[in-house]
Order: sequence, then C-alpha cells, then structure tokens
Amino acid sequence: MSDESPAAADGMLVDQRGLTSRSHRGAASSPAVVATSTVLRQLYSLVQRYFPQILVAGIALSILFVYTTGGLTLMGEQIKNALVLGAIYALVAIGYTMVYGIIELINFAHGDVFALSSFYALIIATSFGGFVNSLATGSGIGLLVALVILFVTTMAAAGFTGMAIERVAYRRLRDAPRLAPLITAIGVSFLLEGFMLVKFGADNVPTKNDLWITGTALTLGKVSIAWTDLFVFATAVALMFTLGAFVRITTLGKAMRATAQDRNASLLCGINVNRTISATFFIGSALAAAGGIVYSLNYHSIQWSLGYRLGIIAFTAAVLGGIGNIVGAGIGGFVIGIIYVFGGQLAGGEWSDSLIFAILVIILTFRPTGLFGVDVTTRA
Amino acid sequence: MPSLGLGRLLTRERVDPTARRPRGAGTSTFWIFSIGSATLLFMGWLLPWFVRPTSSGIGYSPMDVVSSAPTGIGTFLVYLLGIGMLVMVLSPFAELFYRARKRAVPERLDQVRVLIAVFGLVSTVVVFLLTRVIQEEQLFGPIDAFTITDSAVWLTMVGYILAATAYGLRGWVIRRPTTAFAALALPVGILLPLMFHQAPVFILWAAGSLGIYTLLALGLNVVVGFAGLLDLGYAAFFAIGAYTCGSLASPKHSIHLPLWVLIFLGAAVASMFGAVLGAPTLRLRGDYLAIVTLGFGEIIPDLATNNIGKLTGGPDGISSIDQPIVHLPFATINFGINKEWYYWSVLLVVIVVIVLLRNLEHSRVGRAWVALREDEVAAAATGINTTSTKLLAFAIGASVSGLAGAFYGSIVTIVSPDDFSFSVSVSILSIIVLGGIGNITGVIVGSFVLTFVIFWMLQYLNEWSATLGQTINVPSLGNIDYSQYTYMIYGVALILMMLLRPGGLIPSRARQIELTSGGEEESLAAVQGIA
Repeated sequence: MSDESPAAADGMLVDQRGLTSRSHRGAASSPAVVATSTVLRQLYSLVQRYFPQILVAGIALSILFVYTTGGLTLMGEQIKNALVLGAIYALVAIGYTMVYGIIELINFAHGDVFALSSFYALIIATSFGGFVNSLATGSGIGLLVALVILFVTTMAAAGFTGMAIERVAYRRLRDAPRLAPLITAIGVSFLLEGFMLVKFGADNVPTKNDLWITGTALTLGKVSIAWTDLFVFATAVALMFTLGAFVRITTLGKAMRATAQDRNASLLCGINVNRTISATFFIGSALAAAGGIVYSLNYHSIQWSLGYRLGIIAFTAAVLGGIGNIVGAGIGGFVIGIIYVFGGQLAGGEWSDSLIFAILVIILTFRPTGLFGVDVTTRA
Repeated sequence: MPSLGLGRLLTRERVDPTARRPRGAGTSTFWIFSIGSATLLFMGWLLPWFVRPTSSGIGYSPMDVVSSAPTGIGTFLVYLLGIGMLVMVLSPFAELFYRARKRAVPERLDQVRVLIAVFGLVSTVVVFLLTRVIQEEQLFGPIDAFTITDSAVWLTMVGYILAATAYGLRGWVIRRPTTAFAALALPVGILLPLMFHQAPVFILWAAGSLGIYTLLALGLNVVVGFAGLLDLGYAAFFAIGAYTCGSLASPKHSIHLPLWVLIFLGAAVASMFGAVLGAPTLRLRGDYLAIVTLGFGEIIPDLATNNIGKLTGGPDGISSIDQPIVHLPFATINFGINKEWYYWSVLLVVIVVIVLLRNLEHSRVGRAWVALREDEVAAAATGINTTSTKLLAFAIGASVSGLAGAFYGSIVTIVSPDDFSFSVSVSILSIIVLGGIGNITGVIVGSFVLTFVIFWMLQYLNEWSATLGQTINVPSLGNIDYSQYTYMIYGVALILMMLLRPGGLIPSRARQIELTSGGEEESLAAVQGIA
C-alpha cells in the first residue's frame, strides 16, 4: 500500500497500517498544558496497547454482573440470544470486510442488501400461491426442500443485486478519490431503502414463516434452545467455514486474495480483476442474504429500514475483527452480539445501539486495525 | 458601465443579422434573456397554483382561472399574457432550431419578444393598479381575485424587469456574474414574502426549509468542501443547536432566553461538541472519519430519545419553544404570527454566513484547508498544523449547524429526535454534492433545487395528482404518496452526480481540475482519500 505515513520517531501513534499519523506538532505553551497532554498521550497509548484485554475484561465483567443479578438462567438465555444475534451480524460483517479487503470501499449499501434480501425471501416464500410455504409446513423433507429453494434463490438474487450495484455505482469510480465511491454507496443505500419503503410500506412486515421451524431443540438447565436458534447458529457457522475453505482452496479464492493484495500486479498475472471483484460482491451479498433469511426465520418481522442500523452494527463487527480479515469479521460479529445483548441488559435495551456506536467510535479512534488487524498484504 | 439598456431594448439598431450581438456578449445574453424571462413568466403563470387562501377552501390552478366565467378585462389579459408566455417559452427552442441549422435567427423573433415584454410590463402594472384601486370587482369570477392577480402580476412583473435589466446590463453581467446575481437576487429575496399575502406556507418553506438547509449546507461545505473531511453525522450538530434552543427558550426548564442570544449559544455549544469529537478522531483517514462521524450522528439522537439527564424530553422532544416578540417604538413584531420576519432573519444570517465563509475561503486558513485537502503530508511539511486546521474546519462547520439548529427550533417550535436522523445528514450531503462540493454558489443553488423538490414539490404533488386523477377519472392517482420518494431522490441524486458530474451543477474550479486530472500518480490526494 502506498498510503503508509512515515513512521514517527516514537512510533506511539503510528500503527502498521498507517491509519493514524503523528498529530502533536503544535507547540504547547504552558507547562500545565504540556503535562496534561503528556498524561493524555500516555493514557491513549495505554488504551491502544491493551485494547483487547480491556474489551475482554469489560465483556467478562458484564457477563459476571448479569450472572450475579439474574442467575445462571438469565445468563444462559442471554448468551444464547447473543450467539444468535452475533451469527447474523457475522454473516453481514463478512460482506463488509470482503469488499473492503478487495477495493477498500465501505460498502454502505450492504446493510440494505441484507434487508432487501429478507424481502426477497418473503416474496419467494409466498409466490406461486404459497407453494414454498405450504411445502415447508407440510413435512420434514418438505421443509428441507423449501429451505434449499429459499436459500439458493434468495442468495442468488441478492448476489446478483450486489453485482449490479458494483457494476453500476462503484466500478466507474474505482480509481476516483476514495470518498467518491463512498458517497455513491450512501446513494445506493438510500435508493434501496427508498425502494423498499415504496414497495413494502413503512410498517413492519410479518414474514409469514413462523410455522416453518418450531419447537424446542434441547434444554440446558432452565435454558431452552429453540430449533430456530440452533438453525441460525449452525447456518452461520457452516457458511463461514465454507467461505473460508472457498477463499483458501479454489482458484477464484486465490484470485480474490491476489486482487486484495495488489490489483495491478494481479492484472499483470492474468487475473480478471473485474470478474473477481464482481464475484466478491456476489459472495458478500449472498452471505448477507443468508443473514436476512435466518433473521426473518428467527424474528418473523422485517422492515424497510432494518438494514441501516444493522448494517452499522455489522460494520462495527467487521472493524472490531480487523477490517479485511474474514475470520476476524466472523469472530467480531459474535463479540458484538455479546456486547449488544449484555450491554443492553446492563444499561437498558434502549442504549444497546448507542453502546455499539460508541464502541465503533472508540475502536476507530484507538485501534483502527481492530482485534485481529493484520498487515495489509495478508488480507484476503 | 452601460446604461440600463431599456432604451436599447426598445429601439434595436438594425445590423447584420449574422453579427448582431455586442462584442464579448456572445450567445449567453440571449440565453439569459430568453430563459430568464420565460421561466419567470412561467412561474407567474403557475403561481396561482401554489398560492392558496387560508379562509376559503377553493383550490386554484391556472386551469381554474381559464375555465372560470370570463367576467372582466382581467381574464382577457390573462389569456393574452398566457399566449405571450407561450411565445417566450417557445422562442428559445426556435432559436435552438435556427442554431442547429446554422442559420441566423430572424430579427422578427426578437421584435416579437420585445413587444411581448413591453406589453406584459405595461399590462401587469395596469392590472396591478386596477386590482389595488377596485378590489371589490371580481375580475376572475368567484375566485379570490386578490391573491391570484397579486401573486401572478408581481412575479410576472419581476420577471420582465429582471429579464430586461439582465439584457441591458449584459456586458456587466458577463464580466461580473456573481455581483450581478447578488444585485438582482437580493431585492427579490428581500421582497419575496410581501408578494404573498395569504401564503404562510410559502414563508415557512422559504424560511424553514430553504433558509435552514442553505445554512446547513454552507456549514457542511466547510467541512467536506474546503477541508475535504467527509462528515456523515452533521445532523448531530444541528440537533445540538436545536436542543440548546429548545432547552433554554421553552417552558421545559422555565428558561426563556431571547433567540438572538440562543443562536450564538447554539453555535458555541455545537462547535464545542465538534471540537470534542474531532480532537481524537481527525487523524483518521477519510472513510474511517466518515464512519466515526456517522456513529456520533446516531448517538446524539439516541441520547435525546433516551432522555438523558431528563433534559431532552424523550421521543416527544421539547415543545412550545418561544418565538421572539420584538417591541419597536412604532410596532410590535410577533415572529410567531408574522412569520416573514423569520424569513428575513434567516436571510440576513445566510448572507452574513456567506460573506464570512467567502472571506474565510480566501484567507490563510482557507488556503491551509485546500493544501490539506490536496496533500496532507506536503501541507504538514510546509508548516501547517494539520490537526488544528482540521479541527478548525470541523468546529466552524459545527457552529454553523448549531446556529441553524437554534433557528430551526424557534421556527418549528418543537424539536424531537426524529428530526435529526441520518437522512437529514444525507440530504445536506446531497445538496452540496448536487450543487458543487466546495463552491458556495453551487451549494446555494443545490439547496434551492433540492429543498424545492423535496419540501415543496413533493408536498404538492399529492394534491396535484389527486386533482389530475379526478379530472381524467383515474382516482388511483390520488392515492400515491409522493413524499415517500424522498429517499430515492436523495439516492439517485448522489449516485448520478458522483458518476456523471462529480463536480456538481456548478463545480468549483479547483475541484474540477482535481477531479479531471485523475490517475494514481497524479495527486496524492487520491491516495490520501480526499474526494
């Protein structure tokens, strides 16, 4: 990467990716100001260095607090909720991180692709006179077939939507200043939101699939885990592992990693960069669609503006895991799910969103590389 | 300095038709004359549609005027003016046709236009005086003649005068377009509310949406346009200003400070928040900074919704905010009733802010911003304190936003968290992207266009389409809620502008050079992530 800023002598504010640069060049006038700024700077570097430890300690403390107030049942219940929510965040976060890894763009519309794909799923489940829906509620095999139909069609539709977005809004701006595609991304996001608002109305839309997967799978102590919870978690983990294998093993995955490392060099090696980037968008959007499907299966209610906040939260997960790092995004999704649920338990549910946004600001301020921020050259 | 040119307009000297424009004027004078007069005439014609009386429930449209019983000379005049308007509107197309054929525009077309202009000018003055003298006579049948003639006549007249003056002063206009624009726009801007006796809706639009959004766009332009920092949470500072105003001038906390104190207070509080947010985060690269500001912009309305410290009133917000009452020796002005005073106050503030920002743009700080935007490393090497320069841009942008927020709170008298969502930030961003990032004139034009479309046209499209649906027997047209297309309009505006015309409608010159130069090695700005 060519945008690494020159390392400062003390190396304090400079991380390996050059996200930050030396900022303290103003001459401080009075000794008090100097002392204060020194203390602040030391605090800053302290937080920066021990960021993962502080985060883990905070999460552990909040879980402990929930345990002391609500006992094992509440804790177990909340851990289950956190893992289910985290699985959805992880699925969406992977799309953010893949796209950022390959073209360094915060794909603002990704959250809205998630919301749109949950509407796709609704359309597919209720089309053909409710064929898929009746199939799913009929028998066990029928449910399996219905799920396969739903996942394949919705993921394909969302993938092509993602490819179309890239083709129309981002490709022409690939060599433009960095903020230009970000602004079109915001435009695409608003276009999708507006489309969903006009098409599906401003109210919550019931997804009509609450009879698909029902019942309790198992009970651990007093915590009952429903089949949907298990299904969401298993789907997310399975898809993530599949993606990991895909990126590591296949030729296209290799092309993606090469393009992420150096686009021009991969062009010289004969990689079809345009096709690779399109494929990245397809896969990212398809995973978001999987997230949308499991969201609608688990929560039974979707809304046009669903993708906006969920998108920011998933982006926070991607940043937390180190943007560009697929494994990191997966883990970050679960961590953010835990923070969301337990933070909401501690401070009151209405503060959950604010908490995540505050964490987003804090991560980007103190540790823009995230927990598993790796060198740019090794990003996938 | 040429004379006013009205004389020349009336007695055109006959010269060779292929070279009949004055030197240096070129084609643009004709376009100024044609398009200016045509659009203004068109507006004058359409205006009855916009103006609605508060008392009677009759809806007006130009068709109503035409179809109402012709009872007086007024209707006849309206017909004539309509035909004149048609000619004026069509004449540029005729001219275009001749130009496309590479033929000289016939002299007669020009004469016809001059004739129509003179006729319109005279007749509008006559009608205006007539309606003033004999208000009782119903010139337009059962419809409130006062409103229709007043607004239509005023605007048509202004249109003619503007067009004629622009034509007369064409040399000056071409040499100094900005000054000319200001000299023409200012009187019109000041007099605008007086032309609408019964249209508080218009004033509310002009002051509330246009004025406030222009202020916001000017402020964001400092951050995004001058300093090149993308701020996606700009509505947060707007919210801070509005809540400052709401808290300190309402029965909520039983504090009643005057608006004149509050606008400065709102600006100060907002800029303080801007500095607090900016200090740790401004060293981030462009897109990361955008996301941090986005997070901040979500946190602030959340804090307000959750009624932090019992200060903000929760989801309902703060209501019944004071509206200033000024006691002058000869009159008492109640802003809540005479809303045009809000318009004038906002106009004054907008003008002051424009002048200040213009000066700032060309000052040492403004040049530092440009240097920073272009190449941060080089700027730092030349001795610019990058952090404090960025921080200054952030704080100034925030303070303009806070000022606008204080005004907004006072105008709408109720602030609630929903008014400051992300869509507000995006609408302001759309304004400056549409108008031209970094260009004050462009930003003003952008705010005119977008607020007109979003806050004026979409509101009325519902009624128009319902009327149209009734007329042509398609009642489903009345069920379309056009205001829900707002999001799509913002989205399409952002995408199309960035793809097709990244400099905006009126690009700033420096920005245009940057954007067209392209290439990876061309400028480090591309690498540093500055749009």
